[in-house]
Amino acid sequence: MDADAHLEKLLSRIALQDRAALRELYDATAGRLLAIAARMLDDRAAAEDVVQDTFVTVWTRATNFPALRTSPLAWLTTIARHRAIDVMRKRRPETPLQWQDAEGQEHQHDVADASGTPLDQLLAVQADARLGDCLGRLEPEPRAAIALAYQEGLTHDELAVRLQRPLGTVKAWIRRSLLRLKDCLGEPA
Amino acid sequence: MNWHRHPELLDRLAAEYALGTLAGGARRRFETVMRRETAVARAVARWSERLQPMDAKLPPLPAGDALWNRIEAKAFPAAPAPAPAPAPAARPAAQPTRRPAAKPAAPSWWQRWLAPIPAGALAFGLVAGTLLPTVWQALQADRAATQLPEAYVGVLATQDGRQGLVVSSLRRGLKVDLKRITAVPVPAGATMFLWTVDAAGVIAPVGPLPAADFVTVALPRAAEEVFSKAVELAVSLEPTGTAPAQPSTAFVYRGLCGKVWPAPPAR
Repeated sequence: MDADAHLEKLLSRIALQDRAALRELYDATAGRLLAIAARMLDDRAAAEDVVQDTFVTVWTRATNFPALRTSPLAWLTTIARHRAIDVMRKRRPETPLQWQDAEGQEHQHDVADASGTPLDQLLAVQADARLGDCLGRLEPEPRAAIALAYQEGLTHDELAVRLQRPLGTVKAWIRRSLLRLKDCLGEPA
Repeated sequence: MNWHRHPELLDRLAAEYALGTLAGGARRRFETVMRRETAVARAVARWSERLQPMDAKLPPLPAGDALWNRIEAKAFPAAPAPAPAPAPAARPAAQPTRRPAAKPAAPSWWQRWLAPIPAGALAFGLVAGTLLPTVWQALQADRAATQLPEAYVGVLATQDGRQGLVVSSLRRGLKVDLKRITAVPVPAGATMFLWTVDAAGVIAPVGPLPAADFVTVALPRAAEEVFSKAVELAVSLEPTGTAPAQPSTAFVYRGLCGKVWPAPPAR
């Protein structure tokens, strides 16, 4: 892909500490990373901090794992998403939103079900055709779990609360859905 | 349990990490191993490539010069900019948002190790790589042959990118010669310790090194056994008298490990 090849060249120049290349990478990708972080954090200022950290990391560790540079956008997205997850999990309460009582009965806080059509629409709009097709082959609820985990950075526990399903069910959905996506998408080129 | 040695488990954890569902201590432990083990990082990269199209059509948000200035202040702290090329957007000289005081936190030893090799070290490596065979040849002139003996040669740079240490050993030798070009301070109670790094990033101990300008050290095993898989050599400072399995401090020297003999014929 042309765009990826261009980003790959930029990352090679950054590995040689070419500052102009970092600026070009910023111009090419910061807006997209900002959108991803802002969606996860729902906070523009915090999202900007995440993007700042991402580019500083790229600058200081660009020679690290050259193999990861074969898909620069995925690499950048991974760094940004995990920075956002760090921020998100730091500010969330540590108390469990879902628990088991003495009889082993599972309980969870009541929240609105987010698994309906809007999420499916969001998926259809935001995923590319190939992944969209593979996601479309999953059952609606596991698909919603995958989308919420990726787009909002929810943990298994949080997914169980949000989707109002037992933790074990959610874990199984995620595990099986990832396997099915892998089968459907195959190994990246 | 060494989950990263089990491909299926590794792939499952990499998938959950890339998706974002790995949490708490498990996530932190995973990240620690990911920074060390290339195979783990690759598995995450593959999963990120699979999942990243989830954002393919998310509309970008405007990211302007103010944010760039913050990145610049953090990434290039207080250094006089050599400015290899002008940045696309001309920026006013005195940007109020620029924060030269902002210094990144001191990186941990592995971050320093993973930090880019400065261009100077790269240039030194290239020059030394070109010159070394010639120097070696001169030294061995009375061996009558014009051909170099088969040898492992490591050219190591210091952390700040200066020429540091030349490590050499005959391919089937039992000793290693060390020529120190730039000395690094070795605190009392510590000893320099030589390590090999293989293509997968796995670090293995070789042994302690005396601090001297030129020394010959006996190898624990034949050079071929010690260095055959090494793509890099590195030196850390370890408590004197210990035989650590992994480095406990930053590498003070690090560089490529070259094999000075013709490549085997293609299979």
